[in-house]
Amino acid sequence: MSELVSPRVNAARIGDYIGRTVRLTGKIVKTEHDTLILQASDGGEVQVRLLRDADVGSPYIEVIGSVLDASTLKMQAFINLGENLDMKLVNDVVELWHDPRFSKMFL
Amino acid sequence: MNDGTFYGGGGGFLAGGSPFGSGSGSPGGGQRRGAAAQSLRPTTIKQLLNATQMHSEADWTINDIEVGQVSVVAQVISVQVQTTNCQYVLDDGTGQLQARKWVEADNENEEEKTGGIIENTYVRVLGNLKFFNNRKQINATHILPVKDPHEAQFHILEAATVTIALEKGLPRPGEQKPAVANGHANSSAYTAQSHTGAMNSQFAHLPELQRRIVEFIMSQPAKEEGVHVGAIARAVGGQAHAISEALDRLMDEGHVFTTIDDSHFKVSI
Repeated sequence: MSELVSPRVNAARIGDYIGRTVRLTGKIVKTEHDTLILQASDGGEVQVRLLRDADVGSPYIEVIGSVLDASTLKMQAFINLGENLDMKLVNDVVELWHDPRFSKMFL
Repeated sequence: MNDGTFYGGGGGFLAGGSPFGSGSGSPGGGQRRGAAAQSLRPTTIKQLLNATQMHSEADWTINDIEVGQVSVVAQVISVQVQTTNCQYVLDDGTGQLQARKWVEADNENEEEKTGGIIENTYVRVLGNLKFFNNRKQINATHILPVKDPHEAQFHILEAATVTIALEKGLPRPGEQKPAVANGHANSSAYTAQSHTGAMNSQFAHLPELQRRIVEFIMSQPAKEEGVHVGAIARAVGGQAHAISEALDRLMDEGHVFTTIDDSHFKVSI
């Protein structure tokens, strides 16, 4: 089952998951032809290598991807999250996800 | 939403009616069997994958707590339309699980069958956990598109809140520790808790005077006509019009009601 798990992370936690799949929610800072820069919920910036033909629209997106290094994700899928998202809430959820008191629920 | 009303009656929301009943560490004490089946609990997929049942007809349990219907918010990985049902693979980051929703067989319109659900969006799925071909799945009663991205965040927090409340009891304003904190309550502690515990969870949010009135009425021997206002005034003390105002407020909110005349009160439970 563990390969089907994709923990919610922020920029600071990506480095703990090199080679594994994570979910990163963030705001698009800029898009180049095959990469984009995403500002994560803790304010850190992460480079995302896009899927071919990924039609990334809304400013807030959730990227499901594999971690190449501590600041780079390779996109597997993404979810549009619209134009308004409380990033402090998102970050609190990331931290709750990693709270050992809830290890039976999330990780 | 204020905590009091949110958890107050508790009945349908938290499995087992009173969280103190099911959470106070008597696993297998199925005295309330069936109550859980009427409840709807927010969970993560990992919790469902780890849920167990004693036999194929038994209630599912998550960490020894019975669970009836469940609610999950997850990403749709795939949608598969079949003649009589739709299958969805769901992923909420804690695991993957299949949901199946039965549809009218004579419905030819594919979009109506899927309810417009598409891949790589968030959905809220309500339903029951079932074994189908030896694989766990959710027999979905509802699959709803999530329109506000905060709902996915909310669901995680709600699932965590409900899980911790079921396992440890609810936090109560003005008290240091929940009465159920020590799971191994002896019999005297248990009787004390079943009385004040249930009471506090329901009335803890009330103002001091109203709460003392309710506590006094509940402490009295159960009689058909309830408790006379004079007895309440003597027990609670203070000014008559303050007590009468507090009683009016308690009646307005449905916590107490009058019985044989306007001077006798009972607590509605």
